[in-house]
Parts: sequence; C-alpha cells; structure tokens
Amino acid sequence: MKNKRFNLLLIAVVTIVSIWSLIPTWQDYSFTKQLNSFGTSRDSLSYAMSHRDDIENARQKSLKLGLDLKGGMHLVMEVDQVDLFEQKAWNKDAKFFSIMDTVRGDVAASDARVIDLLASEFKKANIPLSRYFYDIRNTDQEIVGKLQKESEDALNRAKEIIRNRIDQYGVAEPVITTQGSRKIIIELPGVSDENRVRNLLKGTAKLEFRLLREQEVLLRTLDRINTYLAQNGTAMQAPPVKADSSAAQATATVPAAGTASPATPATPAAGQSSKPLYDLVAINQYGIPVTSAHSKDFVSTLFHRADIQALLPPDTELVISAKPDDYGNKAEKFYTVYLVRKTPELTGGVITEAKATFGSQGAQPEVLMSMNSEGTAKWARITGANIGKRVAIVLDGVVYSAPVVQSKIPNGNSVINGIESIDEAKDLEIVLKAGALPAPVRITEERTVGPSLGADYIRAGMLSLLWSFVAVSGFMLVYYKKAGIAANIALVLNILIVLSVLAGFNASLSLPGIAGIVLTIGMAVDANVLIYERVREELAEGKTITGAISQGYDRAFSSILDSHVTTLVAAFLLYTYGIGPIQGFAVTLMIGTSASLFTAIVVTREIFNALLSKNLMSDKSFG
Amino acid sequence: MRIFHKTSFDFIGHRKIAYGISVVLLLSGFISLAVKGLNYGIDFRGGSEVVIRFQKDVDVSTVRGAFDAAGVSGSLKQYGMDRSFLLSTVFKGDTGGLKTLLDNALTSRIPGNPHEVVRIDAVGPSIAADLKWSAVKALVASLIAILLYVGFRFEIKFATAGVVAIFHDILSVLGLFSILGGMFEFMPLEMDQSIIAAFLTIAGYSITDTVVVYDRIRERIRGQKPSDYERIFNDSMNQTLSRTVITSGTVLLSVFVLFIFAGPAIRGFAFAVFMGILVGTYSSIFVAAPLVYDWLRLSKSAVRLRGGQKS
Repeated sequence: MKNKRFNLLLIAVVTIVSIWSLIPTWQDYSFTKQLNSFGTSRDSLSYAMSHRDDIENARQKSLKLGLDLKGGMHLVMEVDQVDLFEQKAWNKDAKFFSIMDTVRGDVAASDARVIDLLASEFKKANIPLSRYFYDIRNTDQEIVGKLQKESEDALNRAKEIIRNRIDQYGVAEPVITTQGSRKIIIELPGVSDENRVRNLLKGTAKLEFRLLREQEVLLRTLDRINTYLAQNGTAMQAPPVKADSSAAQATATVPAAGTASPATPATPAAGQSSKPLYDLVAINQYGIPVTSAHSKDFVSTLFHRADIQALLPPDTELVISAKPDDYGNKAEKFYTVYLVRKTPELTGGVITEAKATFGSQGAQPEVLMSMNSEGTAKWARITGANIGKRVAIVLDGVVYSAPVVQSKIPNGNSVINGIESIDEAKDLEIVLKAGALPAPVRITEERTVGPSLGADYIRAGMLSLLWSFVAVSGFMLVYYKKAGIAANIALVLNILIVLSVLAGFNASLSLPGIAGIVLTIGMAVDANVLIYERVREELAEGKTITGAISQGYDRAFSSILDSHVTTLVAAFLLYTYGIGPIQGFAVTLMIGTSASLFTAIVVTREIFNALLSKNLMSDKSFG
Repeated sequence: MRIFHKTSFDFIGHRKIAYGISVVLLLSGFISLAVKGLNYGIDFRGGSEVVIRFQKDVDVSTVRGAFDAAGVSGSLKQYGMDRSFLLSTVFKGDTGGLKTLLDNALTSRIPGNPHEVVRIDAVGPSIAADLKWSAVKALVASLIAILLYVGFRFEIKFATAGVVAIFHDILSVLGLFSILGGMFEFMPLEMDQSIIAAFLTIAGYSITDTVVVYDRIRERIRGQKPSDYERIFNDSMNQTLSRTVITSGTVLLSVFVLFIFAGPAIRGFAFAVFMGILVGTYSSIFVAAPLVYDWLRLSKSAVRLRGGQKS
C-alpha cells in the first residue's frame, strides 16, 4: 500500500514537473504569435517593450530549436598546427622548410597528432628537434611535450579570440567548443549574412606595419622575375604545390567576373610569351605595377614560390593590395603590387583600441587605432626616422594602405583606409580588438541551413509527430480497447517527459531529434504490447483479471528490461561517437526509451489498479 | 482483436528454408557491394552540397545549362522537395565564393525565377575521415556491448546467435542500399551519418525482438531434456509471434510516417530503419532462435541459463 502511494506521488510529480518546465515554451510560442499578429511594427514594438521581462524569461527557459530548424551555421575550424610550430622554430633553414613541407603532406593524409608526425619526420631526417626548437639541451621528448602544450594553448586562445569576434559581431546564443587538439566547433543560430561571418572568422587578423622599398627597386625586381620566367619557360604551368588548387580557383572565378564584363582578357593559363610576368602584371600610366582581379590569386601564388622569392632583394616580399585601387579605369579593377620589407616594423599586438568611422573627406570608411605605451614609443621612433617614406599597413598578407609618413606620430595613433564599406570597417574593428589568432585557421566543415528550409523542417517534423501518434495510438485503441487508452495516456506522458527534459537541460530540438521522438512513439508502446499480450495469455489460461494483470506485468518485465537496455546501449554509443545532428537523435531516443520504462510500466499499472479498485476492468478490457 | 491467435507453425522444422532465404539475401547484397559498391554521402566522402530552391517550376536541364555556362562544376540532381535541386561538388574551404558564383549564374541566366540557397553542407576530407572512423567505432562498440549484455543475461550461445542476427540485419540493409542506391530520385540512399544512426537503431531493435523470443524460451526450457528442445523452441516462438509482430508493427508504423512526412533529409534514414526492422523481425524468428537450437543440438548438453522469472 505504501509502495502504491509512492508510485502515485511519483507520477504526479513527474507530470507536474514536465508540464511546468514546458510552460515557458508555450509562453514563448504565444508571445511570438501575439507579436506577429499586430498590424504595424510600432504596435508590436510597444507590446514587446511592455512585456519585455516576460518575453525574455520565457525565451530563455523555452525549448530551444536546433540549427537545422531555426536556420543557422555549424562550422568546424581547424587550427593550422604546422604553421604554429613553424612560428615557434629558430634558425629556420631550407632543410627545415623542406621537412615541414613533408609534415604538411603527412598531416593532410593522416589522422595522427601533428606533433607526432613532426617528430617522426625529424627523426627520419636524423635531426634532433632541439636544433630548431627551444633549447639545444632539450631532448626530443621534452620538446614534443612543450610543443603539444603550446598547441593546446593556441587552440584555447584561438577559441577565445573567435568567441570575442562573434560576441562583438552580435550573434544570439553562439556555442563555441573545442574538440580534440585542433578543432573548434562553432554553432551560430539565425545568422543572416553567412558570408560576412565566414570572413570574420577565418582571418588571422595579423596586422603589420612594414616599410615600403623604393619604386625603382620594385620595378627592377619585377624585370628580373620576368626575365627569369621567360628563360625558364616555366611561367604558367604547374607552379609547385599549392598553386594547382588556386590556379583552379582562379579559373573558376573567371566566369563570375566575366558576367560583368564579357571581354575577359586572357586567363593566366593562356601560356607562353616573351613577357610571362608582364602578361599578368602591367605597369600602368602612373608607372605603378598592377594586376587584374582575375589574375590576382595566381600572381599572389607566384610571388610565394621559392624560386621567385630567391630573386627578390634580401629581406623583402612582394604583396598585393587588399582592394582594387582607383586608377581612373572604371571598367576593370586593378590591384597594386608592392615590395615591402619582410620584417615588420611593428605588429598588431600593440593595438589596444580600434574604431570604425568615416574619414575626414566624408564617405571613405576607415578604422582608427591606438596603441599601448610600448607601441606608441616604437611608432614615434619609426615614423620619426622614416619621414617621406611609405609604410604599408598589411593585414593577413595583403596591403590595405601605404601612406607616406608626413611627420613623426607621437601619440600612437594610426589609421587603416582603403576599405570598401562601413560593414567591412566594423568587421576590421572587431578582429583588431579581438586580437590576432595564434595560427591560421581553416574551415573544414560547414553546415548552413536557411531559415525557410528550417521552417519546412519544423512543419515536416510536426506532421510526422502528429501522424505517428495518431497511427500508433489509434492502433493501440483498436487492438487493445480499454487497455489501449492506458497505453496512450502513458505515451502522451512519455512525449511530455522527452520535451521537458530537453527544455530543462537546455538541449535543443533538431530534425533528427524529432525523428528520435517519432521512433520513441513506436517503441514506447512496445513495453505495453509485451505486457498486454502476456495478460491476454494469462486470461486465456483462465486467470482472473486481477491475477492476469499482476502476472502479466511480472512476467513481461525481464523482456522489457532486456530490450530497453539494448536500445539504450545502441543510443548511448551513437551519442558518444556521433556528432551534432546525430547526437540529437541519440539523445531523444535515450530519454524516450528510459522514460518509457517508467510510463509504460509504472503509469499504466497504476491506471489499471485504479480501474480495478473501482471494478471498471473486465476480461474484455484487453481486447 | 487478435492477429495470430494460437498458431502452431513448425518454425524449427523449416529452418533450412529460412537459412536458404537469408543466404540468398546476404549473397545478393555482397555481390552488389562488390560489383556496384555504395554511394557515399559527403559525410564520408568529403565535398560540398548545396540545395537551391526556386520560386517557380524549372527544368533540371535548364539549371544544369546555367551552371555549365557559368563554369560551375559538379553534379546537379533533383532534390526530394518541390522545385529544389541538389548540387554536389568537391570541397572548397570557401563556400562563400561558391555561393556567390551560383547566385550570379542563376540570377543572370534564369531571370524572373528567384532562387534561394536553402542549405549548404561542406565537409573537408579530414573531417570525412574522422566521421568514417567514429562510425566504425560506434558500430563495433555497440555490437560488443550487446554481446556482453545478452551473454550476461542469457548465455553465450544465445548472445552469439543474437549478434549474428544483428549482422544479418545490418548487412541485408547494407546490401539493399547497394542494390537500390541511385535508383530512386526521391531518395538517393547514400551512406552518411544518419544511416549509421539507422544501423545502430536496427542493431538495438533487432536484439530487442530477439530477446523477446529468447525470454520465452528461457522461461520454458528450464529443466527440460534436450530431446524436447525442438518442441519448446517452436512453442515459444508461436506464443511470442503475436508480440513480436505487433511490437515491430507499431515501430514500422511510426517509421513509415517518418518516411512519408519528414522530408528528404530523413528519408534515407527512415528507409533503412524500416527495412532493418522488417528483416530484424524475420531474423529473430528465423535466424537467431534456430541458430541457438542448432548449436544446442550439436553441443548435446543441457543449457544453463541465467536470469529469468521471479515467480
């Protein structure tokens, strides 16, 4: 008797808690409906203002929808550890770079830890790691440990910086986590401008102030490269390693540009001529070397080739402008080529504040930056020593502007101009404030669902839920009559529990999650079927209804337990090894299966007990 | 209402026929796997997929023409929703560029019919390798866990036969995917993560069905002579036939609803689970229990089972 009272209490508590935890979801839903029902935006705004706290509260506690239902982006980014380790190395020579290139190839082909691949390549070459990393007295093992630590730090720093960027950009409820030693997982619900977010995230934001070399040196260098390419005849075909992919990209983007101006000039792959470089880079009427929009990527790759770099004056680098510069030719866009010192005078680490504004001449967006005291002192010295020379402001390897130093700048201010839109200026402000990533990151996985498809998914999910409930509960009713009603009540409670657990634990409901619930509807009645069939057998053997019910529950229990445990095991492993969307399915299946142990056994049993005590059950009650 | 009231099928007597059917089913699957192989989705193959929806009806060849003219590479197919197409291409880190390219191509070449890029999935090769590896781990781990659990609850012969039945079910569905892959426009039947989820669901469900039969055998076999085993097995299966069929029936109902209503993203999954449960129900009666019977018969010793009834 005591046990029975406990069961009833438990059922009451579970029901109340599940309904209670779903109330915010209902409120959120009705607020949204209310807000959408107003004719004018002013009405809905004033309603939102007056009910602000309630709305916020309901929204916070309501059942969250997953990215696929709400629309949004799921990104996986990978930190380039090879680049990170390269930064950490000293005395880098040709041998070092060639080994690192091999490592890069290994990393692409294997799942192993980058640090292990690196260690094994150096071992193969019979070079102790200490020649390039840390202290000469360190053993390989110590260095591997230190570098591994370094890469973990880098991952966490990268995560924080990315979180900063996203927070400042303003995305509601982003989820940013790390996975393993080099992955960052980013979930951004309801993002409308995916392209902007992508650009915001993938840039390293490495800001450098670099001195420009004289124009004659630049022109002489380009001449030298041109002659070299003409002699070797290797100008355009198959530049080593990375060039393949970017050449392919370059050709792929040609048609897009071509739609605007049909007269597309010869593509970079066009082949040989006596002026291989000058087919790609032209000296314009002001004597400035420029390259067109569609050969830009190719030229940039060319400038990074080792044999081309060998032709440059020592400690210099060829870089291209970030934006096309205005040379009076409106039809085609040209990017300027610069020759800059390789060693930066100053880097972005000294930037403390950045602000996007419009420049003094009006419409030009720009970003104002101020520096910390150390940076201010250095900047004053640099500008003081280079009056009349040009300093390029380089961000992630491209030149934003290269102003001439007019006078010494004592207050640590500087400005980036050459920005196309105020949005872009704002994004620059964000990345500069958040700081540079410790190493480049790459997007390795992306799943984006648009809001309209999300709405479709919701409709499809709801229809499936509704129809599977109708079909299964209808069947139970027809097949088991009165006992079917008990099973259906248990089923409703089961669905309530699943939803309330999701809402209570702040988990989100995705389309696979809905599929999990639909499957749960089918599986939850399993336990009842097992019990009811057993009860029928007992009745057929001539037992009384009370005896049959009690025997039915007892004897079916071991089957139910075994079958539920096996389902739970499979769902749990799916949760452990699956990712995002599949985990949602596993979670709802797990909750549903566990809940059905309670609803299908305890709840229906109590219903029958209540009915029995009122003499409402007969031999016919099980159909 | 009653289905299968007091049946007395001779399941054990006809088990050789069932073995034959299973062997044919599995063999045809294997042959198709060897000859035709499987279609891998981007989860395991890596690549990019873009779903584009138009506002008005448009021919797949028109869209393909627009992409060809714009130099967009990749294969274009009808997607299982109204006025929608699926473009699959190689993985490029920058899906933004791809989207711009598609937008430009479609706006300029199919004017007057606005389109929307409703979904972009891009999976890099390293991620694809990871996902493949996790899928294998999840499957192997769940089979081991089930083997251990059923071994602990019943007996190793029962557990082994149960796991064999799971293999039977998953391999049958895998074979079906290979045979039917690419035959239907509304469901490409590609192997992706959701299919792995389906396989694990099938594994869990197949053993559920099997356990129901085992449970009854366990209840009745206690203290019986090996010579009575055939009768006990047959009786047990006949007595549980109705439960086996109805429990599968309710799940089949809800999975069928998923297949019809839940849209193209879930369709392959629903198909796999549906087939898996059909085969799983068959295998628990015609594969798992007969295998245990044969094993017991050959080992000629009385079986000792753990667990079971309280009363």
